[in-house]
Amino acid sequence: MEIAVIGNSEFTTGFRLAGIKKIYETKGTNDLVPTLQSVLEEREVGVLVIHNDDLASLPEQFRIMLDEMVTPTTIALGGAGESSNLRDKIKQAVGVDLW
Amino acid sequence: MAVQDIKPTRSELIELKRKIKLSESGHKILKMKRDGLILEFFEVLEKAKSVRAELDADFDVATEKINIAKAVEGVVTVRSTAFSFKDAPQLVVESKNVMGVVVPKIESSSVRKSLNERGYGIIGTSSRIDEAADAYEILVEKIILAAEIETTIKKLLDEIEKTKRRVNALEFKVIPELIEARNFIILRLDEMERENTFRLKRIKS
Repeated sequence: MEIAVIGNSEFTTGFRLAGIKKIYETKGTNDLVPTLQSVLEEREVGVLVIHNDDLASLPEQFRIMLDEMVTPTTIALGGAGESSNLRDKIKQAVGVDLW
Repeated sequence: MAVQDIKPTRSELIELKRKIKLSESGHKILKMKRDGLILEFFEVLEKAKSVRAELDADFDVATEKINIAKAVEGVVTVRSTAFSFKDAPQLVVESKNVMGVVVPKIESSSVRKSLNERGYGIIGTSSRIDEAADAYEILVEKIILAAEIETTIKKLLDEIEKTKRRVNALEFKVIPELIEARNFIILRLDEMERENTFRLKRIKS
């Protein structure tokens, strides 16, 4: 399996430097959902890297689906989105802000 | 189950007692599962916090390094160098089971490469690009680690929430209703027995 990176060229270029081949460049939010759908259909993708702003722009159903998937596992980078998502989840499940 | 819908018979009473026993043992097991999941969650939480902090820091460093490389070398040079890279890191994603929760276990081939393994000419590029590539390799390593830990924590939290809901439903809804129904049947059966005794005494006299 491989790592896939999805986002604009500014976000993805660096990952090419780390040798990642599955790079999907998008041009704006309209392009994001169809590209993501095609990435999710690929069986060789084990980890999906996406920018937090792109993740936030996705429809909620899609975000929940990405959140619940084990293969590929989604990792969001940049901004403060991912840690605040986890913080909310912890608050909801445990009842205390432990993050 | 409303009390008026219950048939006050002995067989119903036996059935209810059986259900109460089953619900109480289920409740006990689910409470144990919830506590176990919370313990597991606390173990992963500290790791997740530190990995996320490192990941954010590494991403900032990598972004800074690539921006410097782009500024010095030009976007086209950086992009053309990036396209020359060979050997993508390979992942092995397996699933493991933690108290009924399926979590990923990710292992990868070596992400870090030496200069001559990267596939671009050393003379034609500068150290800025090498530094950016180094920073991104470190970032990718951290992403692989974070992917495993963060997914584990998310799955554990989902399961804790589900189990908590089940425990609460059993504790505050199912078991009290069953006990209420059992008490009602006991009351009705006692009442019927008293009526019967009274009737027999009247017939006798």
